[in-house]
Amino acid sequence: MQTSEGQLKQWMTDGLDGNAVAHEALLRALVPLLQSFYRRRLRGAEDDVEDLVQETLISVHTKRETYDRERPFTAWLYAIARYRLIDHFRRRRVSVPIEDVEAILMIEGFEDRSGASMDVGMLLASLPPKQARAIRQTHIEGMSVAEAASAAAIGESDVKVSVHRGLKALAARVRGVTL
Amino acid sequence: MNVDQLIDRLSQDVAPVSPSAHSRRIVIGIAGGAVVTAALVLTFLGVRPDFHRALTGFSFWMKWAYTISLGIGAVLAVSRLSRPTPSPLNIFWLLAVPVLLLAGIGIGELVRTPSQDWLAMWLGHSWTVCSSLVLSLGIPVFLGLLWSFRRMAPTRLRAAGAAAGLAAGAWSATIYCLHCPEVSAIFVLTWYSLGIFLAAAIGAALGPRLLRW
Repeated sequence: MQTSEGQLKQWMTDGLDGNAVAHEALLRALVPLLQSFYRRRLRGAEDDVEDLVQETLISVHTKRETYDRERPFTAWLYAIARYRLIDHFRRRRVSVPIEDVEAILMIEGFEDRSGASMDVGMLLASLPPKQARAIRQTHIEGMSVAEAASAAAIGESDVKVSVHRGLKALAARVRGVTL
Repeated sequence: MNVDQLIDRLSQDVAPVSPSAHSRRIVIGIAGGAVVTAALVLTFLGVRPDFHRALTGFSFWMKWAYTISLGIGAVLAVSRLSRPTPSPLNIFWLLAVPVLLLAGIGIGELVRTPSQDWLAMWLGHSWTVCSSLVLSLGIPVFLGLLWSFRRMAPTRLRAAGAAAGLAAGAWSATIYCLHCPEVSAIFVLTWYSLGIFLAAAIGAALGPRLLRW
């Protein structure tokens, strides 16, 4: 069950006003959100997922002063979750291929800012078809770069460049829309 | 410990947080450091002897306008970078405005001054110590900001470190103005800026190590 942004934000602001019950409700509601966030990114490492969920809850608790009540709660939450994930990789000295880092950094920010209501398909339609297709295949349908390249009969670096340029254009577009 | 126990424990301690808590923490960190810096300046360097006369002149206020505007811009950058949510930083290119204005004043000075006096004007009486004093007097302010950052959640550690360094350098320079008798714009533009921006560079270098959480 997913809790809505409005409800989470309400619990968060009540918690900031000193309401311990709301704070507890918030932390409990975050557990499934964070579990699915980390599971999608650490396939099969269930212990790591649990550790990261707990570390993130602690961060949400100790860093709650940095939440700005004027801004969306989930953007703040996922910014912390993403930082914990990157820190986790750094501690484990796991190196992440550069295109994955870009996906971690850019897609998330773009999703957060545009919100679930914005139609991704509509945005992709505004890009040149090659870029839109590369993004759709590698980031939505979950193909690897190599698979997308052979599907489109183009080079792998061509796919990477298309994804990169497309994401950049989308990020710029979304920034322009929301600010 | 399982996640339920963790949540039970965290929910024991839910102190109210005022909406201004975040900015207050930054101000306290900087002010705490600035008090130490001011005490060091007053104890070891002393206020410039002509301080009262300087208050009515142009150059003292020119220097303060320069360092304080950089200081305010840097504090705003610290405030933004100490929150985890990504936000655009383009606006901080405005920090170039005081530098350019001061450069404009400096060009005006050079035009009015015979060229054989340029070197003396540029080096002043204290160019050998100015930058390093600005830099080292920034240390207490930087430490104060590190204290502020303990409850913060920067996600761009290098940029946050640079902003903290810039704030430390600019506020240190502001306090150092109480002592420094130099009057020329090109002096300030060179030696003050060198100290201030070195502080920012050191902050950027240390940020990833010191600001991790």
